[in-house]
Amino acid sequence: MPDTLELEVTGPSARLRAIGPARAGPAREKPRKEDTESMNREGAETYLRVLAESQLRGPMAAARGQPWPGLAGSTAKLTIVSQALTAVQAVDDEIVADILADLDLAVSVRQRPERSMPPPAAAAGTTGATGPRPGRVRFARTGPMIRPLGRPHARPAAFPAGVSGPEPGGPGGPGGPGGPGGPDRFVPVGLRIPYRDEVLSGEVFLLSFAHTAAGARFAMACRVHSSFDPHPVYPGMVPFEAFTVTDDRGLRYHLDFAGSDGPEWSGEVELRPGPPDDLRWLDISAPGGRSVRVDLDPKTPANPEAAAEPEVSPLTLSPGEHLLITLAERLLTVAPDFPPDLRRQLAAISPGPLRIMATGLGDVIAALEAADVLSPLSPLPGQVAAVCAGMRVSGHGITAPPAYDLPEPWLSLLAHYQRRRPDTTPVPDGYAAVAAALPELDGIRLALLGLLNADGSSWIQLLARGLVPERRTGPFGIDYYFPLSFWIRDNGGRWHAGRPAGVRQTRGEWAVKLQLVPPLARSTTSVEVLAAGPSAQVRVRLPLRWGYPP
Amino acid sequence: MTNRPNDPWFDCLPSCQAQVPCGPGWHTVRWEAGQLRLPEHPDAQAELVLAALGGEKAGCVRLAEAWDRHTSDLSVLAVGPRGPADEIAVGWPDVEAAGQGAPPGSGAGFGGLHGPRQAALWQLASPPTVAGLRARQQQAQAEAEQAWRRRHDMLSLLALGYEFQVRLAGQVAAAHAEEPGATARPALVAAITGRLALVAEQWLGIDPDQVTVSLHSGPGWGQAELTGPGKQRRLRVALPASWLARVWACGLALTGGQLVVAVERAGWPQARVLALRAPGADPVPLDVHARGAGQDPPGRRDVPAGAADAPHWEV
Repeated sequence: MPDTLELEVTGPSARLRAIGPARAGPAREKPRKEDTESMNREGAETYLRVLAESQLRGPMAAARGQPWPGLAGSTAKLTIVSQALTAVQAVDDEIVADILADLDLAVSVRQRPERSMPPPAAAAGTTGATGPRPGRVRFARTGPMIRPLGRPHARPAAFPAGVSGPEPGGPGGPGGPGGPGGPDRFVPVGLRIPYRDEVLSGEVFLLSFAHTAAGARFAMACRVHSSFDPHPVYPGMVPFEAFTVTDDRGLRYHLDFAGSDGPEWSGEVELRPGPPDDLRWLDISAPGGRSVRVDLDPKTPANPEAAAEPEVSPLTLSPGEHLLITLAERLLTVAPDFPPDLRRQLAAISPGPLRIMATGLGDVIAALEAADVLSPLSPLPGQVAAVCAGMRVSGHGITAPPAYDLPEPWLSLLAHYQRRRPDTTPVPDGYAAVAAALPELDGIRLALLGLLNADGSSWIQLLARGLVPERRTGPFGIDYYFPLSFWIRDNGGRWHAGRPAGVRQTRGEWAVKLQLVPPLARSTTSVEVLAAGPSAQVRVRLPLRWGYPP
Repeated sequence: MTNRPNDPWFDCLPSCQAQVPCGPGWHTVRWEAGQLRLPEHPDAQAELVLAALGGEKAGCVRLAEAWDRHTSDLSVLAVGPRGPADEIAVGWPDVEAAGQGAPPGSGAGFGGLHGPRQAALWQLASPPTVAGLRARQQQAQAEAEQAWRRRHDMLSLLALGYEFQVRLAGQVAAAHAEEPGATARPALVAAITGRLALVAEQWLGIDPDQVTVSLHSGPGWGQAELTGPGKQRRLRVALPASWLARVWACGLALTGGQLVVAVERAGWPQARVLALRAPGADPVPLDVHARGAGQDPPGRRDVPAGAADAPHWEV
C-alpha cells in the first residue's frame, strides 16, 4: 500500500513507517458482537483460541524431534467445539475462520520440509522454489452462514395453533390464505386414489390437506408402477395432469407435484389455483379410477376422533442446555447411520463405532460454560454422560458423573437399545392420516401433515414456518435448521425420537421430514407428540388412522 | 513497582539483522530499537515512488511493507514461535514457492464452503441469479486474494528467522498491551498461555495443558498459584499483556530457573527483573545479564536463524 506508507530516510539507512491506516489487520479487527448478560462471547473465543494453542503442541513436539501425536483427534475436537460455540451464537463464523486459518498456517510452518538446501544459484539471486512443501494440513472452514441478521427474533408469521379446520388470522393481518397471517387449515384426509393409464398404474394416498399463505396442498404418499419397469417409479411420474379436481361450487383445479424427499414415495402435491377459504370438499378423479370425495369441512372432518388441544408448558433452557439436549438426542438416534443389520445390535457393539460420535463432548461442555451459556450447576452434562454410558460410549471427556435421572423419552430409547433381544419385527409400509398445528415454539410453528412407514423406517411429514436456512452441519452432525426436540409416544408408552432427515422450501414455508427412531409399529392407534424448544414445550395427543398399500 | 514502566519494551533486545533476497542479490535487513531498517536502500523513498508508477518494488521494501502491515496483527502471535525450541521451518525458497503457488482466487487452502450432504439436503425453491452468483464469485476471489497475501506476508516475515519473529511478536503484543480491548484479549490470553505453558513445563515440570492464564490489569505484576495434587496439579497465572513483549519476547521468561514476571529496569546486556522462585512466592528482584546472543550478525543465509540465536540471560 504505497499510498499509506512512507520510507523515512535516516542517514545511510531507511525505515518504513505508516502515515495512514496501513495496517492490514485481519478480519478479527472488525467490530464484533459484545457480551450480553447471558453470554460471554469473549470467554467463548478465549476458550477456542486456548484450545487451538493446545492443539498446536503436537506439531511443535514434532519440530523438537519428539514423536508427533498427530492432529486427527485434536483437530476434530477443535472443529466440534467451534461448531458448538457457533451453534449457540457465542462465536462468529469469521472468528472461527480466523482461528482455523492461523492454526493451519502455524501447523504447516512447523512441519519439517524434506527438501535439500537451495542450490548455489539461489544465493546468487536466482532463488527458485524447491517444490511445494509436503504435508500441509488443512482445516475445513465451517462454511458461510446464511442466517439472516436478527435471529432468532425476526421470524415470519406462524400458523395458528389448532388441530384441524380453519383458524382466524392474526390481528391486523390480511385475511385469507393468500396473505400472511391469513387462516390456515390442516385437515386429515386418509384416502386412497388408484389410477391407471396406458403406461403407469398405482395409487396416491392423501394423508392430509394444508391450506396456508403459501397455497393449498396435499401431503401424500404414492406408488407408481410402470408396465416397462418392474421397479417402483419416481413419484413425480404420477400423471397428476390427468387427474380432475372439482370443488363443492363446481370450480375446477389441477394438481401439481411439488416435490419429494426421503422416503422415496412421499411428498406434496399442490392444488392450483388456490381454493377459497371455505372450501368444503373436493372430488378427485384419477385416470382409470373412480371419483373420490375429499371432505374438507372442519365440522365433519374425515377423522371423527377429535384430537386434544395442545398443552403448552414453559421451559427455561439456556442455549448450552438446549444444545446438549440436541447432542444427546443425536447420540440416541444414531441407529439410522448404521446398516439395518447393524442397527439392531447397537447395544452389543463395542464402543468403537460410536466413540467418534462423542469425542470432544467434554470440551464442548467446558466451552459452553466458558461462554456462560451453560451453568456449572446444570444437570445436563451428567445426563449426557449417562446417555454415553447407556450407549457404551467412552472417550467423551465429560468430567461430570453420570446422572441417571434422565428424561423419560431418553430412558425409553436407551431401553430400546439395551434390550437383550432387539425387536426384529419388520416394519410394513403404511400411511397414517394426521393433521395438527402446534403452537409456536421459539419462533417456529409446526404443522403435522402425515406419518408413514416405508423402507423399514417411520417418517413424519411436517410443514414448518420460521425455520432459518442453515447450510452448516453442527457438532456431531446435528442439523441446525431444525432446532427443536421432537418426540412421539405411542399408545404402548414407547417413545420415538424425530430425527431431521430432509427439508425443502416451498414459498416461505418448509416441508420437513423427520425420521422416527425407533420405527413406529403399524398397530399404533394414537400418539402423543412432544415438541420442545429452549423456552417452551408442547404436547398434543393425536389419533392415527392407518391406510395400507395393496 | 508498576506493570507499565516508561522504558520501551524492546530495551532488553539487541539489534539483529538478516539477509533477504532483493533483486539479483541478497541485502541486509536490520532491526534496531524497535524499528526495521533497510541499510542498503538509502533512497528508498524514490524507489517507492517509482514502484507506485509501475516500477518493480525491491524485495527489501516489500518485506518492510509486510512487516509494517503486521505490527499489530494478532495472527503473528498465533503463528509465530512459542519459544526457542519451537522451530519454524520457513526459508526463502518456501516464500518463493508460495509466491508462485496457487493463483489468487483459486480458493486453494480452504475446504468447501459447505458439505455436500447439507447441499443435497437443502433444495431451494428459487435458484440463485446470475448476478448473485457473479457477486459471490467476486467476493470469494477477493477473500482468496486477501488470504493469499496474508499467507505470503507471514511466510516472508517468518523467513527472517527466530530473532525477527520474536521481535515482531513483541511489537504486536506491545501494540495491544495498553488496555487491550475485548477483540484483542482472547488472542492475547491464548498467546501468553501457549508460551507460558512451555516455560512452566521447564520451570515446574507441569503438563502444559494444565496451565491457565488470565490477563492481569491494574497495579502489580499479577499472580501465580499452583493448585491440586498429582495429575490434578494446575498452574493458574495472571499476567499483564505487556509480559509478552517486555519479558517473553526479550528471552527473559525463564532466567536462572525462575519465572520472570516483570522487568524493573530494562537494558541490554544488563537488566533488573522480578522473578518467582515458585508459584505463590513473592517475586524478588534479580540482576541479569545477557550472554552471546545476537552479537554476531549472521552471514548470508537462505534458512532462518534458529534457537541458537535467541538471547540467553543469566543471573
